[in-house]
Amino acid sequence: MDWPAFLPLFLTASVEWVEAFTIILAVSLTIGWGASLGAAAAGLATLAALTALTGGALSLGLDLHAIQFVIGVFLLLFGVRWLAKAIARQAGLKPLHDEDAEFRDTQARIGNGDWFAAWLVAYKGTLLEGLEVWLVVVAFSLHSQAWVSNATAALAALLVVLLAGLAVRAPLRRVPENAIKFVVGAMIVSFGTFWTLEALAGDVWPLGDWSLLVLAVFFLAGGQALVPLVRGRPRRVAA
Amino acid sequence: MKAFVKTLFGDSRNIAGVALIVIMGVALTGLGHPGWAVFAMPAAGLGVVAWLAQH
Repeated sequence: MDWPAFLPLFLTASVEWVEAFTIILAVSLTIGWGASLGAAAAGLATLAALTALTGGALSLGLDLHAIQFVIGVFLLLFGVRWLAKAIARQAGLKPLHDEDAEFRDTQARIGNGDWFAAWLVAYKGTLLEGLEVWLVVVAFSLHSQAWVSNATAALAALLVVLLAGLAVRAPLRRVPENAIKFVVGAMIVSFGTFWTLEALAGDVWPLGDWSLLVLAVFFLAGGQALVPLVRGRPRRVAA
Repeated sequence: MKAFVKTLFGDSRNIAGVALIVIMGVALTGLGHPGWAVFAMPAAGLGVVAWLAQH
């Protein structure tokens, strides 16, 4: 098992699965549990096929530095977005992600639709939320080759969320999503920064892999320091 | 399709911010100062995060 990667992967996957489960739950009230879970299963099957195809194709005959560079950039694209959103939410510039609101929105959207439209909502929701999990699993696995360990982390998160969701049968608002996003965003930006520069310049990080820890602390502390600074400024909205 | 692309890459600000971080790393490495990039890239990353958080 690749334990250093397990926790960030588990947390990332948990957040996304919670969002997907909320959509599935809302759809299930319209078309029933069987059809709703069927749509979710179809979404997960699409993701599994995507993972197998991408992993196989990328593992064959490509330059490791090129792969590492692409992965690093993708993690940066993903991580800065998460961390910025978490900071904006903590600073009060954006509303905290509300699973109750998402539940109501999904119900309203499918309220006037037909059975297939509702099924598609559940399928698309699972696919898009799972796509973010897929991105991180593929990125980590191409670097460490720990495909089984990383996939296990994502599947363990899915199982935990599914069991918790079925137990409470309500939107999972008790999960402190923003705090998790803050930590995961900082971790992913750290991995992205580390791998991008390593791909460009080789072994330049002074502490080797331990530099990842320093980077994580830097982005966590820096992110926290940004909260009051960002809070003091009016939010700029594009025209 | 649009949602798929946005999930992969984020919006235009997100792409521009990350491009800035990467260009900085490429430029410093290309100019023979990869050691500077060790400090410049994380600093740029935090700057981009601060900028994105305000938009």
